[in-house]
Amino acid sequence: MSPKWRVRILVGLLVAVLAAAIYFPILKRRVKRQAQVQQTSEEQARRELVQSLNTNSNEPKVKAKLFWGSDAGDGTLAPTIVELPLSNDPALRAKQVLNTLLAGPVDAELRTLPSDAALLAFYILPDGTAIADFSEAMANSVPSGVQSEQLAVDSITKTLEANVPQVRRLKILIHGQEVETLAGHLDLTGAFPVSAKAVAPVVALPVAPAALAAPANAPAVSGAATPQKK
Amino acid sequence: MTRLFRKTLLVLTVAALTGSLVARSQNPAQGSAQSPAPSTRSGLNIVVLDPAHGGTDPGARGTGGVRESDIVLDLAAQVKHGLESQGFQVLQTRTANENPSFDDRSALANAQNGAIFLTLHVSSTGLSGTVRAYTMPDTTLPPGNGGLIPWDQAQAAYLPLSRKLGDAIQGELAQRFKGSPPNVQTAFVRQLRTTAAPAIAIEISSVSIQDKADLDRMLPGVADAIVRGVVAFRPSYVTPTVPGVPPGVKP
Repeated sequence: MSPKWRVRILVGLLVAVLAAAIYFPILKRRVKRQAQVQQTSEEQARRELVQSLNTNSNEPKVKAKLFWGSDAGDGTLAPTIVELPLSNDPALRAKQVLNTLLAGPVDAELRTLPSDAALLAFYILPDGTAIADFSEAMANSVPSGVQSEQLAVDSITKTLEANVPQVRRLKILIHGQEVETLAGHLDLTGAFPVSAKAVAPVVALPVAPAALAAPANAPAVSGAATPQKK
Repeated sequence: MTRLFRKTLLVLTVAALTGSLVARSQNPAQGSAQSPAPSTRSGLNIVVLDPAHGGTDPGARGTGGVRESDIVLDLAAQVKHGLESQGFQVLQTRTANENPSFDDRSALANAQNGAIFLTLHVSSTGLSGTVRAYTMPDTTLPPGNGGLIPWDQAQAAYLPLSRKLGDAIQGELAQRFKGSPPNVQTAFVRQLRTTAAPAIAIEISSVSIQDKADLDRMLPGVADAIVRGVVAFRPSYVTPTVPGVPPGVKP
């Protein structure tokens, strides 16, 4: 009686262990897949949210000048003219051009920014300092190196300079935080000069009429943006 | 015997006299060459080498398992050897697989009198087989009030010297490695900002090379270019006579 039971219990346990051994990897894979889906959908949702700003086609189409890598692949940038419906509001306009810059050029080889990075927020302070907040992918996925990190920042500052003249300096945040470097080399603790005017002593802008002046200035500015560097 | 003795004595005295005369006539020339030497002697004695990354931070990584932190340590050893044979004292921010902070690395150079600072990198991008030297861009910071220079603007005062050093080394690099730029480049390199000495970053392209041996083969040439560049730069660097006043570029 007892040896028979012992055998039965042993067999039962063995079956349970085998079943677990087969089931666990499947479960693990399923959890992993689920997590991945969630992550991409989060990133996608973020992008779609931002994209909705871009596809606001009520705005007149403007020739925007975007800076991606040059064909030479030698660490220099080349301007590309893209027709975009751009807002007259400087902060919105900056978001639109930066999102197009992040979306990347036709030739993926010429990307300057990681494809999974997103712009989370963009503000312009009255003194012309802009604050751009990027997702963590901006720091984690950009190729590490002096040249590649400087190229990433240059593509952002040059694109802003060409399309949003109100921006004089740019401070880059990663996921709302100030970080020491982009990916181990480039200094993000300071603000990058954007327009040539930023280097000269800052002319005190009248703070109060800033809101008033923006719409009045904008048409003239958007017209001037493209021929500026011809 | 005595005659012979007298003759040799005469010959000896004549020889001694002419010898002393010749020596005296040469002396003033020698003196003029020697005396100004100490006053124009370069203040550059120490070179601080900074092999970037290390420890938990491998830096750029190539597909073949090439790690930036290892390559720059090899390069530093070769540059050190070359510089020491030219009479420089060489200090390294790290000699093993460890990762000091940016500030600690800068502090090693800032604590010296008459030092230059070279931070060594290998990128993951760029044309393979090229090398670039970088200085901080000129951001025209407002002049500091008083003698104290804020820690985060340490490099600003040394920019003219850094550019001169960078051009000297980049010129040598461009001769050896086709496709490298002819002049020093600019980038907001974090390591350079806190360094109160002529300082440049040197970056080799790249870790994404097919064979690690190709990268290893570049190192002696890079090291030689750096040593020649530093030797060429040496006369332009004069240590400040007043403490706290950064040296300027000699015309």
